[in-house]
Amino acid sequence: MPPRQPIGRVTRCSIQGFDGGIRLMHPDRPAFGGLCKAAAQQGASDVIGLIYDINIQDDELARQLAAAESPAAELRADQQFVRPIPIEIRALTVGFSVDGRFEQRLPPQPPITLAEIYPLEPDEVLQFTERLDFLPLVLAAPQLPVDHLLAACLRQAALARPESARRMFLIDAGRACARLLAGDLARLNQLVTDLGQP
Amino acid sequence: MTPSAVRRFLIYNPEHTFEPFPMSLDLPQLLQPVDDLSAFAAKRAGELAQALPAAQRSLHNAAGVDRQALNVKIAAAGAGWRGARPTDEPLDATFPPPAHPPELHVFGADGSQVYADRHAAAYYYLVNIGGLHLHHGSGEPPRAFTRPSIYFRDEDLLTASGGAVDETLVKTRRDVAEMQALAEVAAAAAGSPGLALLDNGLILWQASQEHHAPRPEVRELLRAYLRAMAAVQAQAVALAGFINRPRNANLLALLALAEIPDEQVSPESARRLPAPGLTDRALMRQHLAEGQRSARFVPVSPLNTVFADEGQEVQAFYLKTADDVARVEIPTWVGEDPKTLAQVHAGVIEQCRVTGIPYVLVRAHELAVVRPPDRQALDQLVAAALTRHGLLPEISQKSRTKRWTASRRRHVVG
Repeated sequence: MPPRQPIGRVTRCSIQGFDGGIRLMHPDRPAFGGLCKAAAQQGASDVIGLIYDINIQDDELARQLAAAESPAAELRADQQFVRPIPIEIRALTVGFSVDGRFEQRLPPQPPITLAEIYPLEPDEVLQFTERLDFLPLVLAAPQLPVDHLLAACLRQAALARPESARRMFLIDAGRACARLLAGDLARLNQLVTDLGQP
Repeated sequence: MTPSAVRRFLIYNPEHTFEPFPMSLDLPQLLQPVDDLSAFAAKRAGELAQALPAAQRSLHNAAGVDRQALNVKIAAAGAGWRGARPTDEPLDATFPPPAHPPELHVFGADGSQVYADRHAAAYYYLVNIGGLHLHHGSGEPPRAFTRPSIYFRDEDLLTASGGAVDETLVKTRRDVAEMQALAEVAAAAAGSPGLALLDNGLILWQASQEHHAPRPEVRELLRAYLRAMAAVQAQAVALAGFINRPRNANLLALLALAEIPDEQVSPESARRLPAPGLTDRALMRQHLAEGQRSARFVPVSPLNTVFADEGQEVQAFYLKTADDVARVEIPTWVGEDPKTLAQVHAGVIEQCRVTGIPYVLVRAHELAVVRPPDRQALDQLVAAALTRHGLLPEISQKSRTKRWTASRRRHVVG
């Protein structure tokens, strides 16, 4: 099994979330709605984050190339893969793990600066989402596209399961969301529709 | 607005009324000189515009003069003359951009330096070379590289005469390191067409300043530089130095010389230029169409003779890119090989297409430059290493007081 590759390093952090800088993006990670982790408490625990934003910043050179008539393929590749343009991921804290046990509440400490951020492997995603107690933490996050975020997260959690178990997981997840959004049927309807998307 | 009114305007800031001097630079004192500067620039621009048609006529006239006759005049102009010697190309010739090869390995290198600071915790200087290898036509991402070197030993910091290494020597070491980096990475072309670009002219400036009595260090650096040029040549990679906004007047000096009657040519008469401030660039802006290059010529200087003795004589031509006229310097082994010369011409035009100056040089500069945060991080690294070795890292009191005042709040005018 190849060694796991970090998807970034923590640059800013708080109890409620952390941001990380990354150099390159891979085709499948990091992804909106993906679960990730970063070491905290001097390595005694891992904070679990839910990626809600991936932000690529620009600069004068990037803008110049964007406006050019037809920049050579090598120049585009330089900007995309070589030049260290800051790519920032932002994650909402949805839990932590200690001794391999997942807790779905805010952690005692945030991750430390420059802690490496790893995506949760499918078995960890499956284990973390066996309970859905983290949903209120997501729904309570202010000014985030929480409905789309939840739908993306739950769809990825379904994919971490055997094909035969995916549909039942999504039905259970939809029921859990229904309990939390019972007072807002329009949002619930949208979220359930999103959950049904491939 | 009168100076006193401006001064009141600068000082008035309701949030910081207790700060008597909001800015270090007293701009009101400069209002009149700045106005004088602008008036002078406008007057000079008018004079140069008037001088240009005559310069263009001189260019065509000189192109008709026998090359041998021009060389006789150049010899009579003396060793101090800094003009251009014509090559096999007519002086007023223009050359359209050749087709770009389907694939071209383009290498760019640039350097920066951190000077030794006696007020810092340790006495050292740093040279950082940045570069890019872009394989045009491959579609592959380019390869970036940096080569930082730190100099701290006695032989690095002291000259043979026992003096401290000065800033010009550090810059020369940087220039040599740039050429050495190009020679090293050019091997990646592996026999395919290649172009190595330097963000500077090819003549080693410091060595040219000391050509009468160069210091031993300068002589050694010059030898290393020429060896690196030869190493690029050995890789069969074209070499060129790119100079943005050149202020040279080698060609104009030749045009003026060509108009002096043979019997009146002397070092004194040869020194006169058509118009003060007029540059080859201004002439070539009129003369060249976009993408065209001028005729090649040899910049005349004693140091170029030294380069010639080593088989690395430097030639130059002007090139009109989409944005401006640049000066491109090449060794004679590039200039006299039509295929390699075409590679330089087409390669530089393509490199300038998006960024105005060669893309590999834009990126090389970005990779080489040591910004203040880099410098701070290096200082911290040095301090931590000194501590590990049982030394107490101490900066001087002067350095400390500079830090105190560096953080003073400054206001934006307006």
